[in-house]
Amino acid sequence: MINELLLQFAQYLEAQEYSQMLVSGYYSWNWLEATHVLTLMISIGSLFIIDFRMLGWVLPGVSATTIADRLHKPMIIGFVIMFITGILLVYAKPVENVQSFWFRLKMILLVLAFINAWVFNSRMRAAEGAWDSALVAPKPLRTGAIISLCLWCGVVAMGRFIPYDWVDCPKVSNTALLWASGCVEQLNAL
Amino acid sequence: MLSNFLSNYRSVAVLAFVVLTIALVEFFGVRASVYPSLLPFFEWLKYSSWIGYLGITYGSVYATIQAVHLISMALIGGTILVADLRLLGVLLKDIPSETITKGTHQCFKYSLSVAIATGIFCAAGVADKVYYMPVFWIKMLALFAGSCFIFFIKLPLLNSRPHNEVDPWMLRMLAVASISIWFTVAATGRWIGFS
Repeated sequence: MINELLLQFAQYLEAQEYSQMLVSGYYSWNWLEATHVLTLMISIGSLFIIDFRMLGWVLPGVSATTIADRLHKPMIIGFVIMFITGILLVYAKPVENVQSFWFRLKMILLVLAFINAWVFNSRMRAAEGAWDSALVAPKPLRTGAIISLCLWCGVVAMGRFIPYDWVDCPKVSNTALLWASGCVEQLNAL
Repeated sequence: MLSNFLSNYRSVAVLAFVVLTIALVEFFGVRASVYPSLLPFFEWLKYSSWIGYLGITYGSVYATIQAVHLISMALIGGTILVADLRLLGVLLKDIPSETITKGTHQCFKYSLSVAIATGIFCAAGVADKVYYMPVFWIKMLALFAGSCFIFFIKLPLLNSRPHNEVDPWMLRMLAVASISIWFTVAATGRWIGFS
């Protein structure tokens, strides 16, 4: 049911003039994708520096919360640009993305990464104190940093996998994978 | 006098020598004559080397290495932005720029090593295509320039004295040049995919 609804919505978006304009314009697509990828350097770059500081791998002489506070703004700017360009990229090829296993996995990892970021931030605020200038953060924060690194590496990897066609609908015969990818037509044909 | 000059400006002299050599190589048409002889190496890289074999045969391995390449580039971007925006006085203003420069350099070096190693793998899988792409060669040139800039100009200058003794405009120029070069490396890398 959910797959059918998603596909109908994607088909509605794909029929729109602006969606077709984005995908048919050689430079519009390339600029969008390039901006989306290059902004990784601001968003994920800043985020990794914060996580690495929690683990004591970079800037050991600087307070961990100072690093987290000061890099918060560029990181958010980077993520906002990534989200805008990401939404436009999905809007340009909605049916392809809705039926992509990797895109769906990426979205799940994104949600998990944001939940982790929220928990991590709350724990960091609650734990403010003597540890701040220590080489490594307390264990819960270190765990949060490692989970964050893994989830965001997963998000980047899934994003990279989207253009590949290994598990595209016509190539899959496994029912569970067809459902997970949202291959409505292939599922109905079974 | 010459030895005194060379001991004070060794890195700059090395870089000047490299730039001069490149200019002479270009002037005498050496690059144009060397370029065709590189093709067999690129063909070997794709069809005969084990990294080329891995890249062609296992698409999932190739895509995973590409993802690692992207992550290492993101980390390069993160370290460069933090260090250079501090030099520009935009970020972390209350922390000495010496601390930020030293604290991020190790991470930059590791990220650069990973980016180069994974980049060689990525290029090997499509070596016969990238050989003909001007944007690939621009990226290689930018990568070489960026590495030389960091290791022979920026760091020696920043480590030679307290940053408050360096002309503020010099610090700003270093930061802008560094951000520009590494942005070019990343952008041309992305453009290879569109070419």
